[in-house]
Amino acid sequence: MTEFFLPAFQWMEVNLPGGPYLRESTFGFSILLTSHVVAMCVFFGLILMMDLRLVGIANLRTRVSEISPRLLPWQMVGFIFMAVTGVALFWAQPLRYFGKTFFWWKMGLMVLAGINAGVIHLITHKSEAAWDSRAAKIAGATSIVLWLAILALGRLVAYDWMTTEYLVE
Amino acid sequence: MLLPFFQWMESLAVYGPSIYLGPAVNIVHLSAMVTFLGALLIVDLRLLGAGLTQQPTATVARDAQPWLLAGLGVLVLTGIPAVMATATLQYANSVFWVKMYLLAIALIYTFTVRRKVAFADEGRFGSGTMKAVGLLSIVMWLSVAALARLIMMIPANTFEFLVG
Repeated sequence: MTEFFLPAFQWMEVNLPGGPYLRESTFGFSILLTSHVVAMCVFFGLILMMDLRLVGIANLRTRVSEISPRLLPWQMVGFIFMAVTGVALFWAQPLRYFGKTFFWWKMGLMVLAGINAGVIHLITHKSEAAWDSRAAKIAGATSIVLWLAILALGRLVAYDWMTTEYLVE
Repeated sequence: MLLPFFQWMESLAVYGPSIYLGPAVNIVHLSAMVTFLGALLIVDLRLLGAGLTQQPTATVARDAQPWLLAGLGVLVLTGIPAVMATATLQYANSVFWVKMYLLAIALIYTFTVRRKVAFADEGRFGSGTMKAVGLLSIVMWLSVAALARLIMMIPANTFEFLVG
């Protein structure tokens, strides 16, 4: 199914400026990957604290209606760093990621996590009572499961499993 | 001096012949780091005067503490086999040693200075002190996380000028 995108990825592999430098430098790729992981820790760590409160098992002395807007700006700081470094990692070697099944699964789950975040917003912005609803608890638990799976898939992309090597035609 | 100990750890071959155990342990280790850092950051942000500011710092810290300790527990439990599996490579890697020294400093700091300030009654410490304590905590722990990822990725002698 993803074969449809192959020519686009081959084009990017050749034409994105700076790609070869990022691929070949000793520190460039390492620093990008490390920044991506650390930004993920900040983002997911704060998402997790919010989700655990939503589910009702952590940070119980803080109201749910407070924890979400208060942590949001810091979650966004993590997300922006994570997204920028993530795009740069992809930029460095698009064809490598094209051939990785785990990469595609990760992208798919990120779309689902985005939709789930939208659902949490829709459920909870209605009223104070809605924060403690069963639906909010389920959405919080879903968020934890999705992001844990995304973390695992991201780590698995670094190994050689379920990987096909593609070359530029 | 510690080389025989590291050689012995590696000889135990903790992961056996499994090729899945190592990556599985790494994923659990990273998930524990996320939990630990989440619990750490909501308190450090509060020390900085940001985040959950409608509660006193000590309240935020009390709520976060079980998750901080649970995260740390799993980090240690998964970190030990991760080191054992490739012990002689770790031993010869300056990045590993810088991480371990910084980790030791960060742990001591977290359970002495930071604990005292985070759990103190309101008004006991000035906002300047609280901000400095929170900022130092963030910088140290994010550095530990970054160094951990850099082991085996950047050259082993990168920090030899620091740790010989």
